[in-house]
Amino acid sequence: MAEVRLTGVTKRFGRDVGIEDVTLTVPDGAFVVLLGPTGAGKTTTLRLISGLETPDAGEIAIGGHVVNDLTPAQRDVAMVFQQYSLYPHMTVRDNLAFPLRSPILKTPKDAIAARVREVAEVLHIAHKLDNKATALSGGEMQRVSIGRALVRQPQLFLMDEPLSSLDAKLRSDLRIELKRIQADLGATLLYVTHDQIEAMTMATHVGVLDRGRLVQFGPPKEIYENPASLYVAGRLGLPRINALPAGLFPGAPAGAKTIGLRPEHIAQGEGQPARVVRVEHLGDQTRLHLTLDGHDVITLTDVHTDLGPGDTVAVAPRNPLYFDARGARIT
Amino acid sequence: MKRLAGWTMSAPATLLVALCLIVPVTATIAATFVTGQGPFAAYAAFFGSGFRRAVLIRTLEIAGATTILSLLIGFLTAYVVSRAPPRWRSILIIMAVFPLLTGVVVRSFAWLIILGRNGIVNNTLVGLGITAEPLPMIYTQGSVIVAMVYLFVPLMVLTLVGVLENIPDDVIQAAQSLGAGPFATFREVIFPLAVPGLIVGAVLVFTGSFTSYATPQLLGGERQMVMGTLLHQRAMVAFDWPGAATISAIMVAVTLAVVLGMTRVAKRLNPMAT
Ligand SMILES: Nc1ncnc2c1ncn2[C@@H]1O[C@H](COP(=O)(O)OP(=O)(O)OP(=O)(O)O)[C@@H](O)[C@H]1O
Ligand SMILES: [Mg+2]
Repeated sequence: MAEVRLTGVTKRFGRDVGIEDVTLTVPDGAFVVLLGPTGAGKTTTLRLISGLETPDAGEIAIGGHVVNDLTPAQRDVAMVFQQYSLYPHMTVRDNLAFPLRSPILKTPKDAIAARVREVAEVLHIAHKLDNKATALSGGEMQRVSIGRALVRQPQLFLMDEPLSSLDAKLRSDLRIELKRIQADLGATLLYVTHDQIEAMTMATHVGVLDRGRLVQFGPPKEIYENPASLYVAGRLGLPRINALPAGLFPGAPAGAKTIGLRPEHIAQGEGQPARVVRVEHLGDQTRLHLTLDGHDVITLTDVHTDLGPGDTVAVAPRNPLYFDARGARIT
Repeated sequence: MKRLAGWTMSAPATLLVALCLIVPVTATIAATFVTGQGPFAAYAAFFGSGFRRAVLIRTLEIAGATTILSLLIGFLTAYVVSRAPPRWRSILIIMAVFPLLTGVVVRSFAWLIILGRNGIVNNTLVGLGITAEPLPMIYTQGSVIVAMVYLFVPLMVLTLVGVLENIPDDVIQAAQSLGAGPFATFREVIFPLAVPGLIVGAVLVFTGSFTSYATPQLLGGERQMVMGTLLHQRAMVAFDWPGAATISAIMVAVTLAVVLGMTRVAKRLNPMAT
């Protein structure tokens, strides 16, 4: 069983900070999504856990055992790389079979063949099994790279933006598959993504990184509803949270500099008058782009709204979040 | 238009190669087939002589041994160099190829000093009382091979470093993170991806050592005659031009056969071929 515990883990690259003093406990069987802008340290975190990097300080434990001194092969993890990293000299089939053929994990031949086929079916690449790994589209390579991790059934999966090159339909199919596989195996999974929907629908826990520091860790609902800072609030939610001067609306607490309004947390028909700039019909929702005292505000409205550019609509906050001058949450 | 420009620009070089290489080589080889005693008489004479057959076999042995040893030493060195931090890498490469900056004769001569009758090795052995008499190390097949390996390892390292550097780190890391130990990673990933470089290196070293002259002359002498030194002897000492032409024709044939054979193997093993 694989609980993952990082204690004060720091990794620097010369002057650059990879991650800084990260302490984090991932419960066994959790599906953790790591969020953060580029360079925040997401890949570094996965590489440290997999053993491809050694921490400058701190302790990493998998399943209760400190693994700092173990090689990647000894850690029973499977990693999906951001750049696929397939073996260019092998066919798709051999790429998928590779982890089962490595000596530590002797598996009979027909069991390997069956397992490879099974995984290929799940990932919709069964028809490409005899292709060279280099003769594939980016999305196909990415699926082979996921498959290579899945064939092994380790105690811990590490996936670095595994669905980023797939089209929307395949991506939503594989989201469901990955979630199912993870639940079936009861494996722990750390997952890096920039995709809001992946984060909200798949995660049992979300970790938000800011320049190498873990700034909040918790269930996605909690991160969404109770962000510790303006930075965290901006990482989840689409359209993004509106950050406006706190004085724009009455009722701000002392010390508040910014009021954070999620698009769905804006009541219409009361409060300050705002001018409609643009109306976006997205099918299942309609977005209103407003301007209020020179500030852009995005909110949601009735799917069949009559509003058009130039109209005026009154808006007022509902469940606002307040942040101080440093961006920390005021409750 | 573009093609014409390309032709025009490559014309001088093409002409030079044709005039100075293709024409004389063709003429030399053609002459070996017109001897008056039938087309293959010159070759019958060569292979009929036990001495010359022995020279050919010795040359093949020396070239083969040199190639295999250079492959082993060169690969290990190149692997260490290619995985070193970038700052170290260039220093290591310079150190590895430094011998290339001196001439072949100088480098072979160095081995005379080391292995000779009054050389460093013998002086040490006798001085320490390990042997009573100096050992005959020079003018043996072994001394020629040692000097040739020393000569060709830098070339092999240069060839292989390029290939090994091109194996992305994360392909190797992917293998490690998927449960492959260092040995499996080497056998399944690193080695197959290095095969094209190994073949190019092997061809370069084999053809180079098969046709070498100065090193076997200095370290093998008359006793360890090889094709290169035999050719020199026939042409410049005995003025046996037809005999010399036959030897060069055989050398060209062996070299071509090795290049073609290796290209064949390379095509079969080339991991990137689809
Ligand atoms: N091998 C390395 N050498 C030097 N610096 C590195 C190395 N790997 C990462 N870094 C630095 O560490 C920091 C974190 O990098 P990391 O790759 O973890 O970011 P990331 O969150 O995965 O970003 P992205 O979303 O772009 O993949 C960056 O500032 C990066 O420059
Ligand atoms: Mg990354």
